[in-house]
Amino acid sequence: MELQLTEEEKLIKETAAQFVDRELIAREGEYLKQRQPFLPPGAPMRRELDGTVKSDLMGKAREIGLWALNLPDALGGSAVGNVAQVLIHREFGRSVLPFQPLSIPAFLFESKYGQRLVDGELSLSLAFDEAHKSGTLSHLRTLYRQEPEGAILQDSRIDVIDPDADLFLFPAREQGTQRLGLFVIERESSGLAIVDQADLTTDSMVARFSLFQCRVPNEQLLGYEYEAGAIIASEQLRIAARSLGIGMRCLTASLEHARNRVTFGRRLAERQAIQWMLADLSMEIRTSTWITLEAAWRADNGLPYFDEAALAKKRAARMAFQAADTAIQIHGGYGVCKEFPFEGFYRETRLLRLLYGQEEELDRAVGEKFMRQQATGNRQ
Amino acid sequence: MDFHLSADEEALRQAVEVFVREELIPREAEFAVAPDIFEGSRWKSRVKNSDDPEIKLYLALMEDLEHKAKSKGLWFLDVPKEYGGEEVSNVAMTAITEELEKCAIPFEIGNHVSNILYNCKGEQIDKYLWPCIRGEKTSAFGLSEPASGADPSMMQTTAVPEGEYFIINGTKMFPTFADVADFVQLFARLQGTKGREGVTCFLVDKGTPGYRIVRSIGTIAGTEPCELVFEDCRVHRSQVLGEVGNGWSLNQAWLGARRFQVGIRAHGMALRVLRAVADDLRHEPREAEKHAAAIGHLLGELEALKTLTYAASWRADRKLDVRVDAAQVKLFGSELAHKVVDFALEAIGPTAMRKEHVIARAFRHARARRIVEGPSEIQRHIIQRALFREGTALLELQ
Repeated sequence: MELQLTEEEKLIKETAAQFVDRELIAREGEYLKQRQPFLPPGAPMRRELDGTVKSDLMGKAREIGLWALNLPDALGGSAVGNVAQVLIHREFGRSVLPFQPLSIPAFLFESKYGQRLVDGELSLSLAFDEAHKSGTLSHLRTLYRQEPEGAILQDSRIDVIDPDADLFLFPAREQGTQRLGLFVIERESSGLAIVDQADLTTDSMVARFSLFQCRVPNEQLLGYEYEAGAIIASEQLRIAARSLGIGMRCLTASLEHARNRVTFGRRLAERQAIQWMLADLSMEIRTSTWITLEAAWRADNGLPYFDEAALAKKRAARMAFQAADTAIQIHGGYGVCKEFPFEGFYRETRLLRLLYGQEEELDRAVGEKFMRQQATGNRQ
Repeated sequence: MDFHLSADEEALRQAVEVFVREELIPREAEFAVAPDIFEGSRWKSRVKNSDDPEIKLYLALMEDLEHKAKSKGLWFLDVPKEYGGEEVSNVAMTAITEELEKCAIPFEIGNHVSNILYNCKGEQIDKYLWPCIRGEKTSAFGLSEPASGADPSMMQTTAVPEGEYFIINGTKMFPTFADVADFVQLFARLQGTKGREGVTCFLVDKGTPGYRIVRSIGTIAGTEPCELVFEDCRVHRSQVLGEVGNGWSLNQAWLGARRFQVGIRAHGMALRVLRAVADDLRHEPREAEKHAAAIGHLLGELEALKTLTYAASWRADRKLDVRVDAAQVKLFGSELAHKVVDFALEAIGPTAMRKEHVIARAFRHARARRIVEGPSEIQRHIIQRALFREGTALLELQ
């Protein structure tokens, strides 16, 4: 066993940490204090990152290798493994600024959209059907029919987060054979409609991604069952890693506030109710950190890792929600103020807990698998 | 970063895996109805004096297993090289315990040597350390008192120097197996000292005048800890372990040493309980459906406990400060095992409360584990203290 970070991993982590401190956390004040006056119905309510700031950040991130994380250098990426990606997303999780380094699956880069995605000219959203909720590919509703010149997608309506994207990646099953295909589709394709756009309670948007007799050429079929499963697992690892960062930020801030804030003549830090909340949180952060890194390490070493990634996501997201909740409680009135990051984390992490595997759904799958193994006398 | 065991550790783990499969699992059914005394650790010292034919039978089985393990070179694994042992890593010990815990037979590899006895000097080495390593002598640990448990700095037992001797007066509560141990590692304070100052550790032989074992006390977990009284007990200064007045660090070292084993044992016991639940539910599909998510949740938590325990063991091998790791493993492990058992009782129902049922046994042990060797509240205290002192640097990856 060697759980020490390699020199390269340390460097990557330090680079990401510095970027987050200097570029993201330094800009948080301005972002958090955006005025959100009472608006007429229908007007956008969410906080947004200014467009020029966003492209500025993208340029800087790309310069220091925090962009297109999984693509080789030659293609304009950073070619880092899953462990390094966890380290990077963990740092980015420390900031509420809605800016994260891009990851583009290699098979997508090989498509005609690859370079423009890397350059930020195109954006991509995942329209993963029921997998957004269940974290598995077993309940997909979208069906397609294969014809010589391409696939015909049947009637389907899916919720999709960040519906402003130019491209959508989504899985569908072939009628009859149940074979899974992973497709990419352009926003303007005929047969695709994006309707009912609405604000989520996090600062993001949701819409109905609606397919009806939609024709997708063969070159836009990019992968199969495994590729779709790998997308889910990498989303789960990203969520887990971001959750770790959120947990660290909430804990750091809570320790600081508890050291300084005095009530009834004693510092909060001296109150056992406060001490125990933070002790328990630190334990959850540590356990979630190790299982997330272990899942990523398995991915890097060619071991099966989908179950491990799902577990890491479940535990880490729940921990981050608890961390935000604890930070709000310890900061009191400030905790619920929008000028502080905690209420934003609280809303965000509640969604993270639901994405790519609701807790009960993941638990049920693990429990059923265990009972099946048990029936065959297998001692894990 | 590499979560694989090293080649040596993996070879050892596999050897133990084979031993468990070939020697232990075939005998599991026999042990399912063994008396309570075979539960938990250090059963040998207690049962060796018994005349009960049933206990003698199990003792013979255990001794046979010990013989087989020794013949495969699986005995002196955690003993330092200078005492002829293998001195394997903490990670390796965690890995072999994980394997042993796959079977319900409470068989431990190696003799139980109190880690602080490696501080023995001069004649103490031949008198105490070697016999413990060879399994000829056993020790008890006398720290808690009637009025000081979780906070041993409040101990009142005194040691007053008198020439070459110390005169010891006081009462010790709960040293397990003291009634059958050959000696006790006794903590007392020099008169007039307070808190952590002046605490000194003595090795006191059974039968020393003035040292009496008043009674043994039954507990929920089947262990029978004792009450010890010292009345003007004269102990020669050569019986001091370590330095006079420097006993506090020894008690801390003793408490810290077994934490990782505690974590991986809690994992193993809880997993066996969940296996029993799955076995039981196999014939009741509706119940299985109802409890699948709860079982899955607990399995995930157990996975997290396992990873936490291995990571902490690795940190200990790296000689990093593991006080917080140890507290986290103890807290997380003992609380989780308790939750698992509580769930199992709900899932199976009154059947599982039958005294010999694997879940009923686990139920009684799990409750005690949240108390012994530092209750959960003390672990939280240790964690928060370090957290406020060092901040989140404590949790940073190295």
